[in-house]
Amino acid sequence: MPTDERLSDDQLQRIANDLRDNWHTGREVDFEEAIAFHESLPASKQFAQVLESADQPLLQPRAGVPCLEEQIDLLRYLQDEGGADLLPTTIDSYTRDNEYEKAEEGLAASRGSDENELNGFPAVNHGVEDCRRLIRALDAPVEVRHGTPDARLLAMVTLAGGFQSFEGGPISYNIPYTKRHDLATTIEHWQFVDRLCGAYTERGVTINREPFGPLTGTLVPPSIAIAVMLVEGELAATQGVRSLTLGYGQVGNLVQDVAALRALRKLGNEYLRDEVTVTTVFHEWMGGFPPDEARANGVISLGGATAAVAQPDKVITKSAQEFQGVPTKEANAAGLRTTRQLIDMMIEQDIDLGGIDEEQALIERETRALMDAIYEAGDGDVAQGVINAFDSGALDVPFAPSDAAKGAVLPARDDDGRVRIFEFADLALPDDIKEIHAARLGERAETEGRDQSFRMVADDVDAISDGKLIGRPGGDNSPAGGASDAD
Amino acid sequence: MTGKYMPRTVILGVIGSDAHVVGITILEQALSAAGFEVINLGVQTAQDEFVSAAKSHDAEAVLVSSLYGHARQDCEGLHDELDDAGLDVLTYVGGNLAVGQSDFEETQATFRQMGFDRVFDAETDPEEAIEMLREDLQLTTTEAEQIRVDG
Repeated sequence: MPTDERLSDDQLQRIANDLRDNWHTGREVDFEEAIAFHESLPASKQFAQVLESADQPLLQPRAGVPCLEEQIDLLRYLQDEGGADLLPTTIDSYTRDNEYEKAEEGLAASRGSDENELNGFPAVNHGVEDCRRLIRALDAPVEVRHGTPDARLLAMVTLAGGFQSFEGGPISYNIPYTKRHDLATTIEHWQFVDRLCGAYTERGVTINREPFGPLTGTLVPPSIAIAVMLVEGELAATQGVRSLTLGYGQVGNLVQDVAALRALRKLGNEYLRDEVTVTTVFHEWMGGFPPDEARANGVISLGGATAAVAQPDKVITKSAQEFQGVPTKEANAAGLRTTRQLIDMMIEQDIDLGGIDEEQALIERETRALMDAIYEAGDGDVAQGVINAFDSGALDVPFAPSDAAKGAVLPARDDDGRVRIFEFADLALPDDIKEIHAARLGERAETEGRDQSFRMVADDVDAISDGKLIGRPGGDNSPAGGASDAD
Repeated sequence: MTGKYMPRTVILGVIGSDAHVVGITILEQALSAAGFEVINLGVQTAQDEFVSAAKSHDAEAVLVSSLYGHARQDCEGLHDELDDAGLDVLTYVGGNLAVGQSDFEETQATFRQMGFDRVFDAETDPEEAIEMLREDLQLTTTEAEQIRVDG
């Protein structure tokens, strides 16, 4: 079982040498020459520098297509027409499964046709030089966004290729994404990724790391998400990462979202060592979207408004075509502009919302309780602790497909639309906190004249796409024909 | 009396490479609340896992979920495997069963032909499926309530 200890230079070198032969582009990776490439980049392409020196939230979309020229055109469009401050490159699903052979076939098929045969950019197949062409062609810094449990070769190739930010982590890219990867193995794989980022950082090329905050994207209670962010932040910091962007996904209750982002920033600064610069990223709603672009714009706008009040360092935007899957570049750029309009109109207003401090205090208490349980489960070692805590259910994520988590915790909204915990299972929270959740859910049950049950959970999962925040009985208010408006 | 009111066991899982977990999580809760003994195999479940679970738990129904559009390919041959294992169980399938906007009646006919006893779309409430299950297993509402009280 891995412990939270820094890999030695020898271990880093040995693992890198082994990975080099997994796909031919791995042999193109040369660390010294990569450092020289990064040093040649202007300050405007240095991810950590741009993010950490910004004075208001920076906007970043998601985007990835198979071929290099099309990816450059897409990102230029999002930069120029969408006003993206930071750019992404989203990696395809085959690469996420380390199926480079299949990705190669998909890339070849995409090159020969107008259709995209992959759902993202297969960066390992493109190799170091094509990644550098992408970085050179754009004006903003670019991040690798993916969902890969074993991202070691992907990190080697993309960091050598000039990317300066890398999303994911051993929990956040395991628990919500796969069924059969054990946590001990993904932690070991991510220790390598983080150590590699640390090695660049020590040479003056700061690589930003971004644990994936939304997790399953389905009504995740803020304290659970924040605890996972802190654990991944600590694991990364041990390996030498010095720029960490901790994430959180919008739940849709304005007060709770602002409180959660404030708690995330505060606890990030408190738990992570002083040498680490902590920033925060807010993901616009990751759950089911309305099947109607006009209503979807409403969801996106609430995200922009929340960002204006909470002022995270970065916002990951959504498009109004979310319901249909991968958006057109026009819709993707529109999502950026809609968010920008809300932030720019609201950010200078002095908005005083009641209840944020109390909600933030509750989130902090819950998070501290979960962190205590994790340390205890590992006798002070956070790597062992998080493995044991997921195993026992002391830490859990709702709707987790992974066998590494119990997935027994169930959330539901309270009468105010805040996400509470309906089923705690073995989650390590003290009784007085459980009573607060139960009381809030009790208020809702009373309002609705029904018992607290899984039925509320089911109704809440569908509520936003049905046109409401809270899944009240008979609450499906989507106008007739709403579904067909998406066509 | 106890024999008659023994909880009925059902197998639940998402077939193929599909990782959509929300639907079966809710269905599991609903079935348990209705008094059924639920063996939830989770996401990314292979055909033979459904078959061996049905056999080892002496299940009365196998409920297959699929949301990513490849249900037909993933379910092809499942009923042969069940037959080969000598199992005569009720089989339901539900979710987004076809890629794109195909007509649900057509989809329903396709899956009925493959051997499924009932075919549901993604909009089906858990209660509706449970009602059908009670009917097909010839459970009376009273008995189901009895199960819940006992359970």
